Amino acid sequence: MASYAVEDRSVRAIPANEPEVTGDYAAHVSKTMKLEITHADDETVEFDLSGVDVSFANALRRIMLAEVPTMAIETVYVEQNEGVVQDEVLAHRLGLVPIAADPRDFEELLDPEDATDANTIVFGLEVRAPPNTRPNPIPSARRVDRLPGTPLPHQDSDDEEEARKPGGHLHTTKVYSGDLKWLPQGEQEAFLAGRPVKPVHDDILLAKLRPGQSIVLEAHGRKGIGQDHAKFSPVSTAAYRMRAVVEVSDDDVPPYVPVKRPSIFDEDASPDCTARSRPHAAHACKVCEPLLSKPSSENFADKVRLTRRGDHFLFRVETAGQLAPLRIVRDAVAVLKAKCDHWRRELEVAGGGLSEAA
Amino acid sequence: MNAPERHRSYQLDEGQARMTYEPDQRVASAGTFTINKEDHTVGNLLRMQLLRDGDTRFAGYQLPHPLEHVCHVKVETAPGRAPVEVMGGAVTDLRQEVELLDRGFRDECARAREEADARPMET
Repeated sequence: MASYAVEDRSVRAIPANEPEVTGDYAAHVSKTMKLEITHADDETVEFDLSGVDVSFANALRRIMLAEVPTMAIETVYVEQNEGVVQDEVLAHRLGLVPIAADPRDFEELLDPEDATDANTIVFGLEVRAPPNTRPNPIPSARRVDRLPGTPLPHQDSDDEEEARKPGGHLHTTKVYSGDLKWLPQGEQEAFLAGRPVKPVHDDILLAKLRPGQSIVLEAHGRKGIGQDHAKFSPVSTAAYRMRAVVEVSDDDVPPYVPVKRPSIFDEDASPDCTARSRPHAAHACKVCEPLLSKPSSENFADKVRLTRRGDHFLFRVETAGQLAPLRIVRDAVAVLKAKCDHWRRELEVAGGGLSEAA
Repeated sequence: MNAPERHRSYQLDEGQARMTYEPDQRVASAGTFTINKEDHTVGNLLRMQLLRDGDTRFAGYQLPHPLEHVCHVKVETAPGRAPVEVMGGAVTDLRQEVELLDRGFRDECARAREEADARPMET
């Protein structure tokens, strides 16, 4: 069985593969740090970050998850809600709707009492299901013992189809996120000209209404971070994995591994070349165990060593829609930068005698 | 009812400092930094950065309680160099590292844009 262990990382003060830095750390990092964006589209960005410590990569990841601000609905004032979805459930669902609004345009709001046009976005939602205008073809007494899914007695499918149309008694009105109407407050129309605030997706189902029911409410959104509530998190995934290191110690190892998983070695490599001579796709390798343990007749476990590099991180960030993926990463960097600036200022102001713990 | 306000988990209380320091009463050149409204994200980051300094004898962090939004970083340094000094160096180094990363992203974005511009028009 090959060793899958990550190189010893946790106990030592300095990462194992890194010489102790004497003198200028920044100069050292500027030589080791490498960044490459390997893929970017509207929803995802993938990048390689190498030459930094795990704690640094992990801080970046955690900040993307929980400390990059976005806008989300926070308070819902329900005027009327006759639907089957209760007020609090509806409010929660509204909160989870990703809102396309630039958080930089807004200030923090701590107390709902202090709401102004600089810190609050307002949506109106008014959906009224058309009332049942056609007479119900079946007397109510005969509908009681109907099993769910069975057709109504003495009713053909034409009747049912008719009843499902607006005005029919079986018609269902669906309330979608697209029904949220942004109501610009104060100066908002001016300073948000050309980039209206709106839900990222228009087709998120919020509630269903029976004929004649209605939902009328006003939803107030504010700026927040994922640490406060997950609805503010700008990412659906922000993760990294360590780059695999593949060491082949024997020329007998074929350049492919006959398992169905994505292989570290090129699957359609010519049979006369060996794994050793062949560049392998360590970048795609997820260091999975079946790779080497199967099949037993061709077990390479003792000839191939799979480990991970402790200072090379393959990041993958998927946006939840509020912010562009690269923007999330760069905002996270800005958050970390701001933290360092604040601490440095406090340490400098205090000089040797930083204020005693309060 | 008596639930603490949500923003108290990440927003500094009024007049609260981000970082305070309390020297250890028994050990010379040792003390505890209290970083308010922070968690593992920066606790571990600072710990690792402090450990890079040759004058650091000990650096560790802890979150004392899940309902207290503070992070304690304990540092012991070699005599002649105060923990505050070492912490200042660590924060400065980190700041430069973040700056490098920021510049890296700026360059990479510029490169990607150039590549997109250089590509022939798709039909």
